[in-house]
Amino acid sequence: MSTIATHATQETSASTPGRVNVVPYLLVLLQLGILALVIRQFQIESAAFLRLTLVAIGGFAVNALLPLSWRLPWFALLSLSGIGLVFGLQQGAWLVALGLLLIGICHIPIPFWARIAVLGAVAALLAVQRAEWLPAPWSRAIWPILGSMFMFRLVVYLYDLRHEQVPASPWRSLAYFFMLPNVCFPLFPVVDYKTFRRCHFDQDAYRTYQIGVDWMARGVLHLILYRIVYYHLTLAPSDVQGALTFAQYVLTTFLLYLRVSGQFHIIVGMLHLFGFRLPETHHRYFLASSFTDFWRRINIYWKDFMLKIFFNPLYFKLRRIGPTPALVISTIVVFFATWALHAYQWFWLRGSSLFVWTDVAFWSILATLVVVNAVYESRHGRARTLSRSRWTLRRFSGIAARTVGTFCTIALLWSLWTADSFSAWFALWRGLFDGGLGRTTDLGLLLAVAGIAAVRGPAAGSPGVRGSARPRWTRIPWSTAGTIALLLTLAALGTARVYSRLGPQVASFVHSLRSGQLSRGDTVMLERGYYEDLIRVDRFNSQLWEVYMNKPVNWLDVSALGLDRFTGDLRQKELVPSMVAQTRFGTIRTNRWGMRDREYERRPAPDTYRFALLGASTVMGWGVSDGETFESLVEDRLNRERAGAPFARYEILNFAVPGYELPQQLATLERALEFAPDAVAYAAIGRDLHGSVQFLVGAVRASTPIPYNFLRDLLRRAGVDASMDETTARRRLDPYRGEIVSWLFEEIARRCRERGAMPVLIFLPQTYTGIWEQESVEALQRAEKAGFLVLDLRDAFRGVDTASIRLADWDAHPNARGHQIMAAHVYDAITSRKDAIFVPREARQ
Amino acid sequence: MTEIIDIVKGYILEEFLPGENPDELGETTSLITGGILDSLATIKLVAFLEERFGIAIQAHEADTEHMDTLLDIAKLVQSKR
Repeated sequence: MSTIATHATQETSASTPGRVNVVPYLLVLLQLGILALVIRQFQIESAAFLRLTLVAIGGFAVNALLPLSWRLPWFALLSLSGIGLVFGLQQGAWLVALGLLLIGICHIPIPFWARIAVLGAVAALLAVQRAEWLPAPWSRAIWPILGSMFMFRLVVYLYDLRHEQVPASPWRSLAYFFMLPNVCFPLFPVVDYKTFRRCHFDQDAYRTYQIGVDWMARGVLHLILYRIVYYHLTLAPSDVQGALTFAQYVLTTFLLYLRVSGQFHIIVGMLHLFGFRLPETHHRYFLASSFTDFWRRINIYWKDFMLKIFFNPLYFKLRRIGPTPALVISTIVVFFATWALHAYQWFWLRGSSLFVWTDVAFWSILATLVVVNAVYESRHGRARTLSRSRWTLRRFSGIAARTVGTFCTIALLWSLWTADSFSAWFALWRGLFDGGLGRTTDLGLLLAVAGIAAVRGPAAGSPGVRGSARPRWTRIPWSTAGTIALLLTLAALGTARVYSRLGPQVASFVHSLRSGQLSRGDTVMLERGYYEDLIRVDRFNSQLWEVYMNKPVNWLDVSALGLDRFTGDLRQKELVPSMVAQTRFGTIRTNRWGMRDREYERRPAPDTYRFALLGASTVMGWGVSDGETFESLVEDRLNRERAGAPFARYEILNFAVPGYELPQQLATLERALEFAPDAVAYAAIGRDLHGSVQFLVGAVRASTPIPYNFLRDLLRRAGVDASMDETTARRRLDPYRGEIVSWLFEEIARRCRERGAMPVLIFLPQTYTGIWEQESVEALQRAEKAGFLVLDLRDAFRGVDTASIRLADWDAHPNARGHQIMAAHVYDAITSRKDAIFVPREARQ
Repeated sequence: MTEIIDIVKGYILEEFLPGENPDELGETTSLITGGILDSLATIKLVAFLEERFGIAIQAHEADTEHMDTLLDIAKLVQSKR
């Protein structure tokens, strides 16, 4: 039976659920085609999401033609195939099998409490495996999605099974748990099972489809706005100096939530394409006019989940003690549960626990505000209207004042939630009061983004939300025209031929929005995460958590391997001599001098050219086996191809230690010079400027002795001392970073020349785009000016798929192939400057 | 049914929609999904229904399936009388 109706049969088809006319059907397909183009152009989410979108569009085209009774099975099968598409057959089968086990337990014909007990036992076993205390035969990658599919929906499902009179259907259960978009989104709205069951093709099909397209388009817009904020507007806490940068910091931390609302719009929009007329997930939450209003508008599905599982059952039990105490206690329990379930969610997504005091403070303060507001509303009521009410100046100014007040309070609270610690948050306030008004060039862009995000909420006026009359296709409705215009604008903007004509600034801005990458701040966090246990990564407020989601609990860890030890001086740590450690990437062996290298004598043999190589983890060879480091490869090749031209032998002594910053290289230099090198090569990777400041701040705060008068004087001039919080110290030291780096380079170069060694700087690229690209120009200029021979290899990875040469998404160190590429470039660079480098010691002095 | 609808409609108009035109509140007007009944208003309405009609409403019944329209509410009350 065809379910596409023509104009002639329009009136008769109006009473047939799920039917759609030819013209609207094609119109929806046209919009979806443009939407897929925009998703491709802007690389929205991931390559897997684009594939899934194409599957969804194809699936929709078929679904709309099927008899109504076939559509739920079709959606369930499509969802299962989506899992196979993203995870592959084997891992997809594991995911589905585990899911079927959990669903099956819900239907065992035993008492309800016994089912809960069995489910609890299985969940506990899975939790032990998630924490990697027990091995699991499936890939780590399926955990976040398995968790996302079942951790909350199982609760809702069981609740409804207990109270529903309608028998469960296998297709519906499969569709509910494995629903198509979930496989690409670990953060997923808690869809209510009863609503999911009741809303399937319960209204005009076209209206439902069109809302889906509207919401998906809006979701894409939110994600693009999010990228503007994330890449171009976010500030580090140490950047806050004055009222304007404080406002920018607070506002941008709140605006980053656009990512969640954007994803949720896309998810629920996609479900509409299959007839699930679900309610909106967010409703113009930036325009909330009270705290209860905010709670009702932001993540509405979560609010409904809390209402159903916690608030209503508790309130109904407690109401005999009086409505106000029942209301207060139930609301507090809801917020406590929200906080606890947040940690529970984090466990399933990341496999680690989450307890942060700022998190506790955020939920406690928000709970207090909502409780006070709710009690006030229960006594005094709130304005509700049946029709569009008239705007008067008084009404407008009242609502505007409340909205601004709510927004500012929530934004401030959000900044507390996202702060590393209370002291870091208080440091923001010091930045506000210390800096006067301050300066920012981003305010216009920031306000534009906030304005668009605030008004472009879900389309309350979209067809199908109100009324039930079938539209006549004499013209395109305004809301549809708006969506088409939005999609066409985004598609045009995302076309290189269009944006490249808008001037270099606009072109580069649009280009930056066309790919998903880590922001400047998150890149620094990623680098720090190699050496520190980062608290902030254990939070949903940074995009970095997504990168860390699949990171094994026991990833490479130098300290855990026993490879390094504390020194007590500015170097802070060094590699332990004569150690052997086995890692997942092979053996790491240190020689008797504590170098990750083969054995060398303290003095080089005659006619030997010796390099002392300084660097950090990349140079040490984090993530590759002995003999695979670029240093080792270059040394072998020099001895193979250049023996006797001009030296009989070449040695490269690897003094690199993971986590070393430029001040530590200076502290290591004395030790390196004891080995009588002909050249000291510092392999920089573009973090000298921010890394030096970060290191010195840490050293001062840890009261590490700093043996250099210049640096001690500079720290005094900057007003940095051990009692200071990290944010304030960085803010004060940041203006001196150029001076610090120049002095360090000059000092290294001076000491090298004094000992007859040539100072060489080898600049190595990193395997991701980021802060190193911005800082490298200045760092190289300062090194050259200080007297280094600079070998600039920034382009070494050009034309290479960098994802294929790094260890993992969460660890950008080069893998063995990356080291081979670096080795080739380093060898070429050294030999191309052989006349300057391979100079006999006597000739140099 | 009509009697129940009239009583509930009168309560909702007086308690939550003072000054609104009664004609605009129809039997199928969305109350919860339309934003007229939020969680606080719903529990107030439940208390009213229980007292006025001498019935007991369960926590899982205070939702859109049972209370989204005047007609849904009347059916719920009717089923419990």
